[in-house]
Amino acid sequence: MRRAAGVLTALLLLTGCTTVEEPVTEKPSAAPEAAEETTTAAPDCDARASLRPTGSLPAAGRMPAGSYMEEIRKRGRLILGTSQDSLLFSSRNPFTGAVEGFDVDMGRQIAAAIFGDPDKLQIKVIPHGDRTKVVADGQVDLVINTMTANCARWQEVDFSTVYLEAGQKLLVAKDSTVRGIDELGGRKVCAAVGSTSLRNIAAVSTGPIAVARPGWGQCLVAFQLGEVDAVSTDDTVLAGLVAQDPYTKVVGDRFTEEPYGIAISKNHPDLTRFVNAVLERDRENGTWTRIYEKWLGEDLGAAPQPPAARYR
Amino acid sequence: MTTALAERPTSAATPPRSTAVLRRIAEMRRTSPGRLRLMLAVLLVLAALTGTVAGLTARAAATGTADLGGRAQPLLTEAETIYSRLADADTTAAQAFLSGGQEPVVLTARYEEDLSVAATALTSAARRTPEKGPAADAIRALSAGLARYNALVATARADNRQGLPVGASYLATASELNRETLQPQAQVLFQIAEQEVDAGYDDARSSWWLSLLLALLLILVTALLWVQGRLSSATRRTFNVPLVAATAVTVVLALAAGVVFATQRDALDDADRNGSTPVTTLAELRIMALRERAAEALTLAGRAGSGADEERFTAISDQLVFDDPSLDGLEAYTDEARSQHEAYVALHEKVRELDDTGRYDEAVALALGTETTGAFEALTGTLDQALTERKAVFDDDIHRAGRGLGVLTVLGPLLALLICLLVGAGIRARLEEYR
Repeated sequence: MRRAAGVLTALLLLTGCTTVEEPVTEKPSAAPEAAEETTTAAPDCDARASLRPTGSLPAAGRMPAGSYMEEIRKRGRLILGTSQDSLLFSSRNPFTGAVEGFDVDMGRQIAAAIFGDPDKLQIKVIPHGDRTKVVADGQVDLVINTMTANCARWQEVDFSTVYLEAGQKLLVAKDSTVRGIDELGGRKVCAAVGSTSLRNIAAVSTGPIAVARPGWGQCLVAFQLGEVDAVSTDDTVLAGLVAQDPYTKVVGDRFTEEPYGIAISKNHPDLTRFVNAVLERDRENGTWTRIYEKWLGEDLGAAPQPPAARYR
Repeated sequence: MTTALAERPTSAATPPRSTAVLRRIAEMRRTSPGRLRLMLAVLLVLAALTGTVAGLTARAAATGTADLGGRAQPLLTEAETIYSRLADADTTAAQAFLSGGQEPVVLTARYEEDLSVAATALTSAARRTPEKGPAADAIRALSAGLARYNALVATARADNRQGLPVGASYLATASELNRETLQPQAQVLFQIAEQEVDAGYDDARSSWWLSLLLALLLILVTALLWVQGRLSSATRRTFNVPLVAATAVTVVLALAAGVVFATQRDALDDADRNGSTPVTTLAELRIMALRERAAEALTLAGRAGSGADEERFTAISDQLVFDDPSLDGLEAYTDEARSQHEAYVALHEKVRELDDTGRYDEAVALALGTETTGAFEALTGTLDQALTERKAVFDDDIHRAGRGLGVLTVLGPLLALLICLLVGAGIRARLEEYR
């Protein structure tokens, strides 16, 4: 909710516009949060390649002296930045009030590796557009939030090895005949502020109008209120939206590749190596598959092979 | 042809009418009965004017006072109700969301009450504003927005009941609408009402009318005295009884008007100083307190730690010092409100500390718990009490201000008629002597 206010105020301040629908297609500068995304002059890189773990995973509760993990252990909790409206990944359970999902479980694995207790995790909901910023300036230890590892973001933060492969698709009304985003020229398509999806919509040659909302949940609200014709983002996120509205469906093939990584500050390469070691262990001992089945199995089918780790 | 011939000598012979009148007056001044007739005419015109103006002044002041008490001030109250109920609805919705699971019945009831009271106030406010202008625009925007807001919250609730996280997004959208669109419109309405109250005081005082009346009374009394002076030096009679009586009646009229208008102005000054002004200040303070509480709930609902909403809390909190000069004399309330606010802010800081050190659930429990809720409601309760008291002072003063104005509206012209009759009788007796 705060994030909604923050982003909206920023939008309003910059554009002097009172409607929330701010097509970002024409003027990407409308959202300052999106600035990071639009500076595409990032050098070529292998966005999937991360830092190699050093040695084996230290025992929980016994972090190497002087490491950032030891600092976190002394603090008593791991601070995870994520959202609370991405169903299946990190959303607030309306019955219990707890934030839960695939991404949160990834964070719980890391907390368990540091403390021996997965509950020593503080969840901080962060504005979608500020995800790299909050990591870079140390407000959170890591961001796990269906976040694509790409070269532009690698310039500001480090990413773990890829923990999930996704690709952008399109959500439309159940009775729609549209089969792909290129059929939506001139129509409004929603995506979250500061997401790669927003930029991808604007880049489609037939010219759909990208509409930015503070989060994915608010895109579904805009869709249900008839303010946009479609929502386009990663198939994984869309699965969470379809699960909440039986009058929608996901269409088309993945038209982008979105490898998800855990964002960590460049100041703490030891944490990145540690997280990669945790991911390595979870891929091997079946934890990854168990978490996948728990959250995504019902909507995306049986768990695939976990994405293979790549190191630089 | 014939008419042209008939007209030509007439227009050539008689000079313009005004010149004729002036010449006749000049001729009258040369003879004693002529001078008497002139005096009679001047006194009659003056008395008639004074009577009419006395009636009109009383009527303008009565209308102005009634408008102030019956329209402008209630409009301000309604604008304040709309504004504060909107802020409270936002807080309540956020708190209901925070509490998780089935929405607590108390909060649902409070939200429903907030919206229905706001809607009722909006309807009355619409009756008190002209159909066009910024106030009407604000009311229209609020009516439309309120319906939309309610629909969004209802959807959020329905989704919440089914366990769909999109409910939270509906609530965020609703809250945004409330804070970014509805509350600013309510603020516009509040400011317009404030200006109308100020203008209402000017209308009620009717200063222009009153100075005209004062000037006329002075001129009439002077004229009466002068005429009596002339008559007593020209005749052997020292007093012309009917003219003395006319002077006395004029003085009575002046005294009556003086008492009525002095009371009215005194009552209006008191209504302004001890009614409207503190009411406005207290209303603003209460809205600020409610926005403070909303910021606290939104920070927790946003689950983002101290951010923009917490900054807003601090900014509002710093301004909430209860030392506005317009509240002088209300120390009993302001001192209490200040300490109650400090108690609430201390609890709020505990909430922030819990949240910022990762104890989110405890922070939510403390913020929504009876201790914090009680502390906050004690503060709004004190402000409510002070508001009710000040509104009563205003109502009393307006009642006092209106007293006598109606009587004066009738009495003014009646006394003037009496003055005319007396003047006529007094001067006619002198004119008889020249027969």
